[in-house]
Amino acid sequence: LPTPPARLPYVPHVPPTALLGKVTATTFALERPHCVFDRHANASDAVWLAVAFANASATFRNPPSRADVPPYKQLPTARSYMTLETAAAAYSCSSCSAPSPSVLRVGGDTACRDLGRQDPCNGPLPSPGPYRVKFLLMGCRGPKAETQWSDPILLHRAVSPSTIDPAPTRRGSDVVVIASILASLGAVLATAVLGILGAKVWSSLCHQDLGTDSFTRRSYRTHHIPPALPQPLPPGCRCSPPGLCCSVPQPPAPCQRI
Amino acid sequence: MAKSDDCIHILQGLLVFGNVVIGMCGIALTAECIYFVSDPHGLYSLLKATENDDIYAAAWIGIFVGFALFALSILGIVGVIKSSRTLLLVYIILMLITFAFEMASCITAATHRDFLTQNLFLKQMLERYQKSEAASNNGNEVTKTWDKLMIQNHCCGVLGPSDWQEYTSAFRLAHSDADYPWPRKCCVLDAQGLPVNLDGCKLGVPGYYNSNGCYDAISGPVNTHVWGVAWFGFAILCWTFCVLLGTMFYWSGIEY
Repeated sequence: LPTPPARLPYVPHVPPTALLGKVTATTFALERPHCVFDRHANASDAVWLAVAFANASATFRNPPSRADVPPYKQLPTARSYMTLETAAAAYSCSSCSAPSPSVLRVGGDTACRDLGRQDPCNGPLPSPGPYRVKFLLMGCRGPKAETQWSDPILLHRAVSPSTIDPAPTRRGSDVVVIASILASLGAVLATAVLGILGAKVWSSLCHQDLGTDSFTRRSYRTHHIPPALPQPLPPGCRCSPPGLCCSVPQPPAPCQRI
Repeated sequence: MAKSDDCIHILQGLLVFGNVVIGMCGIALTAECIYFVSDPHGLYSLLKATENDDIYAAAWIGIFVGFALFALSILGIVGVIKSSRTLLLVYIILMLITFAFEMASCITAATHRDFLTQNLFLKQMLERYQKSEAASNNGNEVTKTWDKLMIQNHCCGVLGPSDWQEYTSAFRLAHSDADYPWPRKCCVLDAQGLPVNLDGCKLGVPGYYNSNGCYDAISGPVNTHVWGVAWFGFAILCWTFCVLLGTMFYWSGIEY
């Protein structure tokens, strides 16, 4: 009878650091386990990640050998799968100093989903809903050690943009100020123009003088009248109207009898 | 009547000065509105796609109003100096028409600014960015504008990259969430336009992606545009109001 795998106290968890993409709609990230499997692992062992729906984690059975590992494609039916097969040396204490991916991204490989390969496939998760994971150390003769199940990890669920309401929440005060002041200025101007034009029309109809204004500005066209010099009459000047041409009064000619 | 003559001269001087200021402000308004219409920040296609481009209509009106103010101010100066009733009457009537147009421009600009909310841009971006219909020209313009915005201002989305996670979008229909939690343009790009660290960008590691939203880069120029058109126009109109009242008072005192 194979010995049951050792239960390690490590609990897989989403990294606590502030990473915006640590949980998306189809992927999530896990902190990379360090120094967890060193007591039980030797060079040929591999560490797998078992992913199951939160309500199916209790019924998950460790596969007895590598050939029985549930593949990614069976997730909808078997409600669990295993992926991220990695050499145990990658998680050993001596690799602590190189944090090359210090997180593991579950669901980041779209190529294996689309091409349908049978190898352990780290394909995107098909639904948001909550998952539990654990690490499983598999040797040549079956599972040697396993960690605890993680807390349920719930993925994002996106809503439709039609729920966004683009209407402004409140009317800005700028508009009220500008509109009210300009409207009143415009009204005053219009009233003033109508009033002045009306007053002019009324006064011109009634022929009344507006001499009581505070100032009357008469516009003059000034004529410059030079001082009149006595000029000799040109010959043949006829007085028309009488008296205008003749600048020097002449004594009346004695009446001559014909 | 020396005192009355002095008053007349002072009023004439004030009116000429007022018209000079109106003329200069008219030129300034025209220049400013031409600058806004030329769209130096490339935001016009975003606004046109949301059918909310009336602030550009207000700027167009401002260009012509500025010219009109300049021309009318010259007419006003000539009319005041020559004390001509006809010229001044024409001046007053045309100025009232220009006043009405500028009023419309100011109120339009100020009102439509309120419609340009964050949610408006968010909804439009989600619905049209990278929309893959070939027939939709609007969609391509929106995509190009957003790409340019995100690259130039080192920003992502309207409020941040989480916009792409919180809502489904046309982008999400074309690109899977696992490969593209947010568009590639949100990543920090190198000189060739490729992400410096694609995995870091997908995970959201600080330093490999742009974490702030582009709304500030949009609302800044839009606010400048609106304040320049609405409030400057408002100031010009207040000044013009005073000058027009003075001109009407002067006109009513001219008698043949």
